[in-house]
Amino acid sequence: MIDPQAVKAKMGTFLKIPLERLQDNATLSDLVHESFLLVQLAIELQEEFNARLVQEDLKDVRTLHDLIHQVVTHEISADDE
Amino acid sequence: MVDENELWILSFYRTSEISGALFFGRLARTMKPGEIQRDMTKHFSDESMHAWYWTACIEKLGAHALKLEQSYQDQYLAAAGLPVNIMEVLAITQVFEKRVIGQYSLHSSLPGLDPEIQATLRKIMQDEKWHIEWIRDALKGLESDYGKERVETTLKRFGEADLEVYRKTTDEHTERLQELINGGRRR
Repeated sequence: MIDPQAVKAKMGTFLKIPLERLQDNATLSDLVHESFLLVQLAIELQEEFNARLVQEDLKDVRTLHDLIHQVVTHEISADDE
Repeated sequence: MVDENELWILSFYRTSEISGALFFGRLARTMKPGEIQRDMTKHFSDESMHAWYWTACIEKLGAHALKLEQSYQDQYLAAAGLPVNIMEVLAITQVFEKRVIGQYSLHSSLPGLDPEIQATLRKIMQDEKWHIEWIRDALKGLESDYGKERVETTLKRFGEADLEVYRKTTDEHTERLQELINGGRRR
């Protein structure tokens, strides 16, 4: 099972933002100012945590918490691999 | 000496190649070891070289590249939405690369085209053909992860976005290209 705190920590490292400054309700648009960076972040999280997201999954994602939730709930099961 | 329209178009090509290089360079760093990682690194390297080819070409024509804010990729992302996984990135890139080849091919067929521009277009088009091939193969390989149907519907969706971008936001580009065609006929 993917640990939400580990996802958050990875995001902090990737975005170079200290963990204590990463608020769950922070919006992604405030944290990531460039669209290419957001694409890279989404792929990085999937690679790191063995999750699989598609465009529709992120359609309603607004906050840090939303994104963490999507990664955690889209872990690839052994059956899928 | 390059005219104003031509300079804008060549500069737009250069800016788009730079955007592609930066995007793929970042992603290449993120990829797990394997064929996609290798080919994406080569792709990134090609796009960087293309940006240099255009920069050098413009200088040989006696000018400096214009600083342009928007690239073709920006317009794509606005129309298609952000790709969020490697399959979607490759699908949007596949559609985009086909459009680029079409555009470069159209440009290279213009009458009276400067030999320097012609040579640059031909050189880049060779690489672009390989880009389409490796991405096609990679997408085929990703069908086992994402499903054949999803890969196909993603390509279709991005293909529709491509058409939308081409119709709506390349008016300036098209007008400038038409000017070049008219200019070539006058030459």
